[in-house]
Order: sequence, then C-alpha cells, then structure tokens
Amino acid sequence: MSNLWFLYLFFAALLIFIGLYCLLTMRNLIKLFIAVEVISKGVSLAIVATGAVKNNILLAQSLAITYIVVEVALVATALALIINIYKKNKSLDVRLLSKLKG
Amino acid sequence: MAIQIILLCGLVIFSALAILLKDLIKAALSLAVASLLLGIIFFRLAAPYAAVFEISVVAGLITVLFILTIALTKKGDEVTEARLVKLAFPVFLILFLVIDGLVMKSLLQKIPALPSGPEAGTFGEVLWKQRTFDLVAQVGVILAGVLAVLALFRKKEEDKDE
Repeated sequence: MSNLWFLYLFFAALLIFIGLYCLLTMRNLIKLFIAVEVISKGVSLAIVATGAVKNNILLAQSLAITYIVVEVALVATALALIINIYKKNKSLDVRLLSKLKG
Repeated sequence: MAIQIILLCGLVIFSALAILLKDLIKAALSLAVASLLLGIIFFRLAAPYAAVFEISVVAGLITVLFILTIALTKKGDEVTEARLVKLAFPVFLILFLVIDGLVMKSLLQKIPALPSGPEAGTFGEVLWKQRTFDLVAQVGVILAGVLAVLALFRKKEEDKDE
C-alpha cells in the first residue's frame, strides 16, 4: 500500500512542479492561470490518493469537493480580472502590470 | 496498477502540454483532457463523487471559462515567452524526477497523514454532518466569487456611461 501511496504522491509532486515552473517563467496571464489549475490538480490528486490509501476516502472526497468549489470561484474571479486587464492594456503580458505601480 | 500508471503518465503529459503549447485554445483543451484523466483516476480510487465533480466542473465549466476568456482576448497569443523556458523545461523536469524519486519515499515515512482505519457511514453523512462548516465556507466562497465577478464587470459599465 505504501508503494501505491508513493506512486500517487510522486505524480502529484510532479504536477505541482510543472505548475510552479510555468508560474515562475511564463509571461502570458492565461498561461499563468492554467499553471494554477495544474497545481490544483496535483493537490487534489494528493488529497484523494492519501484518503484512498489510508481508508479515509469519504473524508478525502468531501475535502476534494470543497477544494474544487474554491478552485472554480478562484478561476471565475481571476478570468474576469484578466479580461479587465486586457481591456485596459490590450495585452496579456504580465510584465505590463508593472505599469500599475504608482 | 499498470492502468493507473498509464493514466498518471497521461495526466502529467497533458498537463505539461497545457503549459508548453503556444496556442491557448489547444492548451485549454489539453487541460480539459488532463482533468478527464484525473476524474478517471478518482473513479478507480473509489471516489466517484470527487470524480463527477472533477469531470463536470473542472473539465467542463472551467474549460468553457478559459475558452471564453481566450476568445475575448484575441491578441493573447502574441505574448512572447522567453526562448530558454521551453528548452530548459525538460532539463528541470528530469532533475526534479530524480530528486522526487529519491526524496519522496523517505518523506512519506516522516510526514504524519490521516489516521488509518475504516470509516463508518455513507458519503452523505460525512459531507453533511462531519464537514458542515466546510459547506458553509463553500457557500461563502461562491458568493464572494459571484460578487467579485459582478463588481469587476460593473465598473466597466460605469466607465461606458461616463
């Protein structure tokens, strides 16, 4: 069972790494939120896999569902913000946001 | 076990494609496929409710929101990324794979996780009775999200009136 847990958490860490790499290096705002989504996939995989391995799948499922709801609210707000930024700057380049400095 | 590994590899490959593909529509669709694979993994882990939420909400709703945003920001593709980003990605990925493989097993023995033991009751009982506060928080988060979206778009309408 420990090997199975290792396997799932290994891939969850990999997903979180891919998302963090994109967050740190990319400039397109939509790409950055795709990276946030990838990280959240890694986290929900870790939650559900740990619950399944530790025989706590019901609790893990309820936590995963809560997490998904929070994720949707985050993405909806963030994408609305991106559309507003695009209308203002006519670009999705994250470097242009430094112009917001007073 | 072999099917799980194939599904997990597919999940990582499509997630990597989602960040590496230049075309944003293709990237959003790759993300949807990754969500679909994650949903299948949840089903195989005996977590059908989480799987249904993952497939319907994340693979469905969030993909639609992404594609809508991409359609509304047509020039988004023109953002130039640094050349080194895509070239350095495989190097960093392999480096992380090695570190992950070496460190994760010893970490798992040290990190305390949920107490092991069979659960009693059904999913509904756990969700509605044990995690009631989570549900209240979920309602709060959804309301905050709706109000935030309304506030963000209301401001633009006021600008137009002026």
